[in-house]
Amino acid sequence: MFILMKKINSIYIIDDDPITIFGIKKMLKTVADCPDIAAFENGKLALDDLLARMKNEGPVPEVIFLDINMPIMDGWEFLEEFVTLDVKKRIIINVITSSIDPSDYQKWNYFRLKCLHYLNFKNKPIYKIDATDLKRINIAS
Amino acid sequence: MKEVETIPRHYLLKQLPSFIALVDNNHILVDASDSWLSQFGEDPNKGLGTSIMDLFLKHKGIGPKRLEECLTKNKTCTIRHKKVENTNQQWFKSTFVPWFDEEENVLGTIIQTEDISIAIEKDKELEKAKTLLKTKSEVAKVGSWEYDIATEKLTWSDVTRAIHQVSSNYEPTVSEGLEFYKSGYCRNKISMLFHKALQDGTPFNERLVIITKNGEERWVIAGGKAIKKNGKIEKLFGTFQDIHEQVMAEARTRESEQLLTTLIDNLPLNVFVKDQDSRKILVNKSECDYLGTTPENLIGKTDFELYDKKIAQISRDEDLEVMRTLKPMLGQETINVRKDGSSTHFLTSKIPLLDVEGKVYGLIGMSMDISNLKQKEDELRDLINVTAIQNKKLINFAHIVSHNLRSHTANFSMLLDFLIKEKDEKEKNRIMNMLSHASDNLLDTLENLNEVVDISTNVNLEKKSLNLTENITRVRQNLSAFLEKNKTEFKNNVQDELTVMSVPAYLESIILNLVTNAVKYRNPNKNPIIELNAKKQDKHVIFSISDNGLGIDLDRYGGKIFGMYKTFHNNKDARGLGLYIIKNQIEAMGGNITVSSEVNKGSTFNVYFNEENQ
Repeated sequence: MFILMKKINSIYIIDDDPITIFGIKKMLKTVADCPDIAAFENGKLALDDLLARMKNEGPVPEVIFLDINMPIMDGWEFLEEFVTLDVKKRIIINVITSSIDPSDYQKWNYFRLKCLHYLNFKNKPIYKIDATDLKRINIAS
Repeated sequence: MKEVETIPRHYLLKQLPSFIALVDNNHILVDASDSWLSQFGEDPNKGLGTSIMDLFLKHKGIGPKRLEECLTKNKTCTIRHKKVENTNQQWFKSTFVPWFDEEENVLGTIIQTEDISIAIEKDKELEKAKTLLKTKSEVAKVGSWEYDIATEKLTWSDVTRAIHQVSSNYEPTVSEGLEFYKSGYCRNKISMLFHKALQDGTPFNERLVIITKNGEERWVIAGGKAIKKNGKIEKLFGTFQDIHEQVMAEARTRESEQLLTTLIDNLPLNVFVKDQDSRKILVNKSECDYLGTTPENLIGKTDFELYDKKIAQISRDEDLEVMRTLKPMLGQETINVRKDGSSTHFLTSKIPLLDVEGKVYGLIGMSMDISNLKQKEDELRDLINVTAIQNKKLINFAHIVSHNLRSHTANFSMLLDFLIKEKDEKEKNRIMNMLSHASDNLLDTLENLNEVVDISTNVNLEKKSLNLTENITRVRQNLSAFLEKNKTEFKNNVQDELTVMSVPAYLESIILNLVTNAVKYRNPNKNPIIELNAKKQDKHVIFSISDNGLGIDLDRYGGKIFGMYKTFHNNKDARGLGLYIIKNQIEAMGGNITVSSEVNKGSTFNVYFNEENQ
């Protein structure tokens, strides 16, 4: 079977669960061609790395897989900071959670409307990475 | 007519002031005093010579037959007659006497007339007075009695007899009369009074009870006074009045007044009556007790003299509204603040007070003290709040549990999906290892959740008085390797003898978690310093633990510092939910925990142990 591999410069995986990180990385292998996949245990570590990259004009991730429940800085707190950053490109952010708390879905919707980036909501478990998780065709343009 | 002319006019007679007339045997008026003639409406110069019959018949009350008799019988006789002029009546009495000459021959009749109008009026008045007295004495049931000392005769009036219920011809002796009085006090008293009156004339008037002939008890007033003649007591005279109905009515009135007073005084309500100026005109015992004073100190006072000014104005406005609209104010919740500042919650009703003409002259107020009720209501509200918080916590906990379990099952599901598709043996092994790792994580999570559930379910674990220093020392020994490795400086300032009320296992958990955290979040550039303090304050012992570590940005994380994080499966550090657990333990023991911190300076956790039971 021929699978179209998408070319992506940089991907962030922010999750405190190593099994989830393993799973996402494994699934990405079959759909994405990415030389720079970085994983972070919590939002704070990811944010610090991103700020450093922006300062050094390094590659900013095109796709982020973001867990919600994490110690120190959780997914929502990360988003709160992220939307204030001067990121020119529209980034695809996949919010991944095992939570079924309706308040989490409401928060996702709040951020979806608030920021310019593409926000997906995915409930665990995930078995494959969808095409829309990696690329969006900009219909408006 | 010739004869008439021959009889000379007696000039003397003409001038007499009394009414005298002379009539001859032919009943012709031969002479009269001017005054007599004027009574019959005759001119003094013309009346003479007319028929006496004609003159008398001008008056009423006299017939010609009777007049004829008096003029002819030659005997003294008297006739009453009256002159009627318009509405005036004038009564006369005329005496007819034979008129003799020196030889005892009858010449005619001498008539002497008197004006008896005044006497008649007096007679009538007397008659009227007598009737009135009789009627009065019958209506008022006032009788009389009289005792004649000389004859020893006791006489009762009709009314007196009626009061005794004896026949109208009953005549008692003195001792029989006294026997009617109720034996004991009444009979002794009346006997004494009667004899005293006989002896020295001392008058009496006394309320006593008699037993009537029919055996009824009746209240009477017996009065008596002596009648003296030449300084000697001759008779006793007195009144005798039936006052039974009045006495009974008075007794009933007193009884109902007593009933009302007892009722009002013992109502568990503050009752007051106010006049139009909101001055108290009646207060009951509860109201006095509430204000801590006597009725004398409250009557005439307004609320302004008794309560806080603001409260008094509110009350006065209510009073005016009730008296203006005549609509009662019912069951209004009010707050009274006394001059000393203490306040009471009342359920107050104010009802307008109307006189017989329906005009308002004040109001009746009733206040029920509902402070206790209010307090209960507040307690209930607190309880509801606590329950609501607990409920929220429970829902939150349910979400956490569901989330944590779901994250593991999601991992299983994902890894199994990989395993099925994987062909490479080496990769399969790797996935298998991960599955077993995920399984261990799930077990850990379940254990941790169990620990949390235990705290919430074992709310009633027994608290004991525990020595704080002993527990600190034990934790320090258990952690000695960890503390040494981190070069920790440990300062324990807790007094040796200080105790706290705690569940033993919880106290150890609390100290262990706080000490571990203090070292774990140390500043990498400094050796950790941990300082422990404790002091008693009111009903609490405050146990503080301070460090010089990283500190926490409370503005940012203050809200979730004691929250439960998704750290269960990150097995590098099993104590990830330490603060969440100890917060639950402390709250389960009726205490609480607070934190103050500054980034890069350090943190202080204060644990409040509740020293009261529960």
